Amino acid sequence: MKILVVEDDVETASYLKASLSGAEQFVDCAPDGSTGWNMATTRDYDLLVVDRMLPHTDGISLIRNLRAKGKHMPVLMLSALGESDSRVEGLEAGADDYLGKPFALNELKARVGALARRPPLAEARTRLSVGDLHMDLISREVTRAQQVIELQPREFRLLEYLMMQAGKVVTRSMLLEHVWEFNFDPQTSLVETHISRLRAKIDRGYHVTLLHTVRGTGYCLRAPD
Amino acid sequence: MRPTSFLQTTAFRVAMLQALLFAVVVAALFGLVWNEIHDYVGDQLRTAVEVETASLREAAQAGMLEAQIRQRLAVVPIGPDYYLLSDASGNRIVGNLLFHPRVAGWQRVPFHGAHGRHKGHANQVDLYVTPLGDGRWLTVGRDNRDIGELDEDFSRYFFRSVFGAMLFALLSGGLAGHFFVKSVDRLTARAERIVTGEEPGPLQVERGGVEFMRLSGRLSRILERVQALMENMRQVSNDIAHDLRTPLTRLRQRLETAYLGTQDAALLREAIEHSIAEVDDVLATFGALLRISRIEARERKAGFTPVNLSELFASMVEAYLPVVEDEGKHLSFDIAPGVEVRGDRPLLTQMLSNLIENAIHHTPIGTRIVVSLRDDANRVVGCIEDNGPGIPHQHHDHVFRRFFRLDSSRSSAGSGLGLALVAAIADLHRIALSLRDRAPGVAVVMQFP
Repeated sequence: MKILVVEDDVETASYLKASLSGAEQFVDCAPDGSTGWNMATTRDYDLLVVDRMLPHTDGISLIRNLRAKGKHMPVLMLSALGESDSRVEGLEAGADDYLGKPFALNELKARVGALARRPPLAEARTRLSVGDLHMDLISREVTRAQQVIELQPREFRLLEYLMMQAGKVVTRSMLLEHVWEFNFDPQTSLVETHISRLRAKIDRGYHVTLLHTVRGTGYCLRAPD
Repeated sequence: MRPTSFLQTTAFRVAMLQALLFAVVVAALFGLVWNEIHDYVGDQLRTAVEVETASLREAAQAGMLEAQIRQRLAVVPIGPDYYLLSDASGNRIVGNLLFHPRVAGWQRVPFHGAHGRHKGHANQVDLYVTPLGDGRWLTVGRDNRDIGELDEDFSRYFFRSVFGAMLFALLSGGLAGHFFVKSVDRLTARAERIVTGEEPGPLQVERGGVEFMRLSGRLSRILERVQALMENMRQVSNDIAHDLRTPLTRLRQRLETAYLGTQDAALLREAIEHSIAEVDDVLATFGALLRISRIEARERKAGFTPVNLSELFASMVEAYLPVVEDEGKHLSFDIAPGVEVRGDRPLLTQMLSNLIENAIHHTPIGTRIVVSLRDDANRVVGCIEDNGPGIPHQHHDHVFRRFFRLDSSRSSAGSGLGLALVAAIADLHRIALSLRDRAPGVAVVMQFP
């Protein structure tokens, strides 16, 4: 996977490059908006990480221009203005996710992972499956090993999100944003409590555990290999 | 007071204008009166001359004309000043006037002085010429001396009174200006002393009219706001110093100890892990402060959309119900359906979340928490209440301040910014926040506008 990081701060850029580079991930860096535009439009990237504040062309305009040119690769926007209104602005410009600085490395990796190889939006899925756990999005029925599991609406949404991201790590704040629409960090164990209730319903009594805790990062719903 | 500043005062300028206006009015009035008197005196004089002429004609019929004229010229006249009896060709027979009568009736001729008994002010004479039956001409006249004197007196009075009026207007205007400037100076000096903190206290004016009372009232409210802001700033900077220095100091100690103390990789990892957690706390505090100030600086109603409050309240209850149960407390709710307000949904979500979490954090096991939303007669009131230990009444005003904590040890959970954020969000939405004692417990009441 090829990733383009558009970031003017040299230290942050090299930190991002070092963190995201891996066996299957190649990272290029652009120091400003216009270089970023040139690279993004002339080469093929699978994912863009764009800082909001950039010299020449700012991140918002860059994303807007890319979208206008028909470039649909996923974009993660970074910003020191971790505010809900600037977040909305970023998402409206066409970013797929928004991460406020400073961020934890795990958070960044998880979000990049969630954006990469996203299922195309056009494909409307009506059924999700992880191992013997199935979710019917139309009848809103959840079963594990043919046994119906009763879920509260919020638990359904939580499980739906986890199943959409099956096999990938989702962080606490990703869950807060997508399941509860909280753009802030609550001071209680809100996520943990709901996860433990969900876990009690889908995993308790089964030999194979599907919902895993990834220490220091978040959770992962995956079927055993 | 410097003379320039005095001349620049509004009061003085108004006084100047007033004085000019006054002068114009006085001049107009004087002109009118002058004209009337002028006409009247002129008429009187003509009548006197005509009466004299008639009496002399009677004398002429009696053949006493010349004698009469001589007699009149000899005594100090009470009536007309000039007499002339001319023969048919216009030559003087008797009289004190150089004049050749040619037509009958009134005529005005320039007067070259020295011919009459009166010199000085007169420069023209009005003459009444009458042809007598025998071809002679009788001329009786009066010069304009009296009218001239009258004019002179009049203009003297006029200039004196105009001058006096202007002086009076300027003086009173100046005095008023002086008084205004003094009062304003007093007010601003007092305000300045309040702002600099030299002499704190309310802004009050002892003297001055309604306008000063009003001005000082407004100024006083502005000063209160400034003072509150300054007080807030002072408190915040103190608190930042305290709240951020403590964890940073701890962090430094931990890092130093790890750096100097151990080579054991596991211990080092643990030290780094704790350090990251501490840095995260500091960052969270910074983030919260930034968030509060951004909300406070935000333009009111920018980005507001209709928000279904009933649904929001219900979803918050749903989100927190398991958390409350796990903490060994109870959560019940009473939410009126279909209540809608305009607002910023993410911010309102955070406000409710902070309030509910506050009730969870600061109460013992077994506490009952009630979330309610009512809509009585168009008054939307939300309420989060608990039957925990409550908040002492003297702290009710303080709990919404930044970094305020009930226990001053600052050891309890939370940054001390949760309720300050609530207050900022409420203020943005014009929601009136208040605390009510529930004995036991406390209720946070949100009155939506």
